[in-house]
Amino acid sequence: MLTYIIRRILILIPMAFAICFLVYLGLELTPGDAVSHMINPDSAGSMDPAQLEALRQSLGLGQPFHVRFWAWFTNLMQGNFGYSMSGGVPIASIIATRLPATLELAAVALVFSTLVGSLLGVLSALKRGSKTDSALTVVGMLGVSIPEFFFGLVAIWVFALNLGWFPVGGRSMPGYVTFWDRLPHLVMPAMVLSIMLTAGVMRYARSSMLDALSRDFIKTARSKGLPEWRVNLLHGFRVALTPVVVLIGFRLPVLIGGSVIIEQVFQWPGIGNEFISAVRSQDYPVVMTIALLSVMAVLLASLIVDVLTAVIDPRVRLGD
Amino acid sequence: MSINQTPTDQTRIHTPAPRRRTRLDAQFDRIRAREEAGLARSGSGSRAVRKFLNNRLAVFGLVVFSIILLASILAPILTPYDPNRINLRAILQPPSWEHWFGTDRTGRDLFARVLYGGRISILVGLGSALLAAIIGVLIGVYSGYVGGWLDALAMRVSEIVMAFPQIILVLLLVSILGQSLVNLMLIFTLTGWAGIYRMARARMLSIREEEYVLALRSFGLSRPLIAYKHMLPNALGPIMVNITLSTAAFILQEAGLSFLGLGVPLSIPTWGNILNVAQDIRVLQTAWWIWLPVGAVISLFVLSVNFIGDGLRDATDPSQQG
Repeated sequence: MLTYIIRRILILIPMAFAICFLVYLGLELTPGDAVSHMINPDSAGSMDPAQLEALRQSLGLGQPFHVRFWAWFTNLMQGNFGYSMSGGVPIASIIATRLPATLELAAVALVFSTLVGSLLGVLSALKRGSKTDSALTVVGMLGVSIPEFFFGLVAIWVFALNLGWFPVGGRSMPGYVTFWDRLPHLVMPAMVLSIMLTAGVMRYARSSMLDALSRDFIKTARSKGLPEWRVNLLHGFRVALTPVVVLIGFRLPVLIGGSVIIEQVFQWPGIGNEFISAVRSQDYPVVMTIALLSVMAVLLASLIVDVLTAVIDPRVRLGD
Repeated sequence: MSINQTPTDQTRIHTPAPRRRTRLDAQFDRIRAREEAGLARSGSGSRAVRKFLNNRLAVFGLVVFSIILLASILAPILTPYDPNRINLRAILQPPSWEHWFGTDRTGRDLFARVLYGGRISILVGLGSALLAAIIGVLIGVYSGYVGGWLDALAMRVSEIVMAFPQIILVLLLVSILGQSLVNLMLIFTLTGWAGIYRMARARMLSIREEEYVLALRSFGLSRPLIAYKHMLPNALGPIMVNITLSTAAFILQEAGLSFLGLGVPLSIPTWGNILNVAQDIRVLQTAWWIWLPVGAVISLFVLSVNFIGDGLRDATDPSQQG
């Protein structure tokens, strides 16, 4: 088991390193460097070019590419991500203030979509071929076909503007202290973010359940004379659900992509919102750092999924 | 074990069947009737096409897809308005007989904008999907069959591309390359080829083991000829499915990016660009006709493409049927 985990990590490291290198290359190729980030563009024109050059030298910008890359990389490993071009704020502190909002949204969406998606998927598998099954298939298809931001717009229009049940956007208001105060703000973005995820989980749970139901142990359970609900729930459901839960990790890219757009629609002050405004203002250091962190999160999640799968199913680690 | 609960038609009254008739029964009866009439074995049309046409959702998808596609292509015939013509005397008009979908904040006719916008949105979706498929299939088919350094390299690069959440990579490239129609298609191609490459490669790895490939090799055929002419057609089913599904994904992404103002430049009407103004809460509240119809059109179009993709998968790959 341990050798399997170590092998997986050893495969990941060169890839993570390659991605860091590519991101740094992107940073180098985009206009602007650390000096132009530090100095207000209006005053930069009036400054002595020799002075600017000296500043560049003192920051090590005149050194060869690989030296600069190594300096950047070691800084990165120590959690020093560099500075934002607008305002010169450390990127690490931007991320630290924005991350909780994103995590809150993602966690609620993930839990909700996994619960609802697997329930609906299992229901659809148990009633295979029925009207319920085809209706759920069509609903699932609608869930992945309607753009998320359009769902968001309709939700705002109906529930916030016309019915007034929920606030239009944002995460909090002055004077809100506890989680329960903020809950109304959370409901709509989390639900909209869940929709696409739920559709995916439902599909997966359905095929997983169908697969479980066709196994021999289900026939054994049935021929023992167990009541149908026991066969389905205790024998089928349990086996079918393990891969569904493990695959939470694989939905991380969808979740990140979805939250980028949803946070914008609902003005949710998270990482995705920051990413979009950084792209708009061409704040390359922020764009690159957030992209890099999201990739690392995805790689880490896939590692965890692989390890969990190997723990559950010994065939995986013996197989390759 | 599920017995269909739907009382389908009146035949149940005449013939007291031991169980209720399902849709499958009706289908089976039709097939039997055709067989008895001696039509079943007329080799017209491939089996996959017939299976596809038997799938109601897929046919629905094909019909909706064709209607929207034709309406976009025939836009100059269907509407007298220019999608970019500003008319300040007719701003923010609700739908009327004159302006079917109403007008926007600068008085441009929204029906015309949806039709002309469809041209660009479909071009971006379908065009990028085809380009990505061409690149992915060209590399995947050959490297899947031959292997070697090209395969190893392409595999590593695709791993890196696929490690990024797609929208993050797209936005990253948009911020570097800048916004334009060509750039957007280029970016979609760059981010989309990896998936189809993986799929084509995996198919080739399994086809490689078939005996006819060995036979072709013993005839002395060149490797590209075996790969592209003889093996590729057997992998075409999943490739087609992949192209359809990535078309749907790209149309959704274009809409999302343009909605954020980061996709196609705003001067070009696309479905996403029409929706862009809905970020303004006043537009959202007072002028539903600007964003609701076009959102419905996008959803309907993507839905139809997804149905077609599903139908294609069921028709070409029996193992995927649930």
